[in-house]
Amino acid sequence: MTGAAAGRAALGVRLGGGVWIFLGPALLLMLAVYLAPLIDTAVISLHPNTPAGIDRSHWTTANFLRLVDTYYWGVLVRTLRVSIIITLLSVLLAYPVAVWLAGLGPRGQTWAILVYMSPWFVNAVVKSFGWTLILGNNGLVNNGLRALGLIDTPLRLMLNETGIVIGLLPGHFLFVLLPLWAALKGLDGNLRWAAMTLGARPWQVFLRVTVPLTLPALLAGAIINFTMNMAAFAAPALLGGTRTRVLSFIAYQVNLEELNWPFGGALAVAMLVVTLGFVMLAQGITARGLAGPRR
Amino acid sequence: MKRTLTFFNLLMIVYVVAPIILVVWMSFTPSMRFEVPIASFSLRWYQELFSYDAFIDSAWLSLRLGLLSALIATALGFLAAYGLVRGRPPGSAVLLGLFTAPLIVPAVVYGIAMLQFTNLVGLYGAFPALLAAHVVIVLPFAVRTLLAALEGQGPELEWAAMSLGARRRHAVLLVTLPLCLRGMVSAFLFCFLISFSEVTVTLFMAGPAHQTLPVRIFNYVSDRIDPTMAAVSALIVLVSVALVLVLNRLGALGTVRK
Repeated sequence: MTGAAAGRAALGVRLGGGVWIFLGPALLLMLAVYLAPLIDTAVISLHPNTPAGIDRSHWTTANFLRLVDTYYWGVLVRTLRVSIIITLLSVLLAYPVAVWLAGLGPRGQTWAILVYMSPWFVNAVVKSFGWTLILGNNGLVNNGLRALGLIDTPLRLMLNETGIVIGLLPGHFLFVLLPLWAALKGLDGNLRWAAMTLGARPWQVFLRVTVPLTLPALLAGAIINFTMNMAAFAAPALLGGTRTRVLSFIAYQVNLEELNWPFGGALAVAMLVVTLGFVMLAQGITARGLAGPRR
Repeated sequence: MKRTLTFFNLLMIVYVVAPIILVVWMSFTPSMRFEVPIASFSLRWYQELFSYDAFIDSAWLSLRLGLLSALIATALGFLAAYGLVRGRPPGSAVLLGLFTAPLIVPAVVYGIAMLQFTNLVGLYGAFPALLAAHVVIVLPFAVRTLLAALEGQGPELEWAAMSLGARRRHAVLLVTLPLCLRGMVSAFLFCFLISFSEVTVTLFMAGPAHQTLPVRIFNYVSDRIDPTMAAVSALIVLVSVALVLVLNRLGALGTVRK
């Protein structure tokens, strides 16, 4: 092996320092157009905002302290509530879908996954527009219920938290479903057989074998789903209306309407830190789930 | 049990595709109002669309942005993936983390950062800045797709070419690249799809002069809507579905997971 390696080195096939010629362009791009802007925003968030603009000669934590003001706190709580509801619903819905998928033939699985994927690859604005056609006061649901004589006044299905939950769930559901589906497919079928030969009923096998073994994947997916719910912008903006604002829309208003960039920057930094924290948690769970003694 | 599951999944499928189907269906309405057509269908909103300069401009912008960002990201992504797979430099994991960070960092956060940064460097609302941002956003998909493609083939053929006297750049260009053609095509289409669907970052940083199709719809839906919107939306759905079907054939959709 070492002889072969030496031979390759002699041939010049080892990349050595030349590797940076390959990595350089992408690295430069990410440093200049990704890291630099994020760092700039973090710096701006620590400066005070004055009528004349950002005062770069002074430093302050006031922008971050403002995040816990009553108004913004209320927005944060609403964003959390909506996000958690979507995640819980996704987790509940994921098992019946993943179990059904895993029971289909290979072709069936491919097509069913594509269908479940469609809310992810169809633009969020387009989907939200579709939801307004369904959930609006003159939408499909309200018109249908009125035609049946079941209601007189339309149900408020959008421009509130309900609308945000209904509209965001399908697109983010995928990120719980895919890891769970992969975990179910990777499950050793013998374990379930073993449980059944020992007299377990199907629901017992599900609750005591399948669920515990797929829990890490489910949990990791749920956390990713949660961070996506917290940060979603277009769908909540269009389906939440003017009164039901979530964090990302406040960030839009502060940055593009009030032009208060230090505070807008603080909102961005807070969202970034929270998201990274949760993603690291999810990765930790996935890593432990794969390496743990249960496999 | 099995029947209950199937029934439940049918309901779920109706739920997830309903808004998409409805937008497309709606675009064929002959009426001025938002009504799902049942008896009569019309293409009048598609006609309306083509006499709407703002939408034509937006469509061109989306197309240009998608093609250029996909092209650049595929090239950068191939180089980066090659460096990571064949070079295995110290800190590979960190580099890969950086290249794929836009999958994790919320679009709102990057949008705010780009809004503030482009103003700082005097490029606010400039096309090159928007293009660079789109390259960053789609790069993770290029890198992941091409990593998979490169890991799928060993370096032996390259070594063979080099032992016969080819220089590395010739070996890469004439041996490795053609072998990765499927991955390159997948990466390109994937990047185009992502750029074409991007709303948030573009809305934050592009300024009023550069409204891509989704941004145009977003601004439009916020104040007034008529069925032209449905026609534009239907066209977007058509493009996305077509791209995803091709990507599925190429076996490239596995990189969606975060």
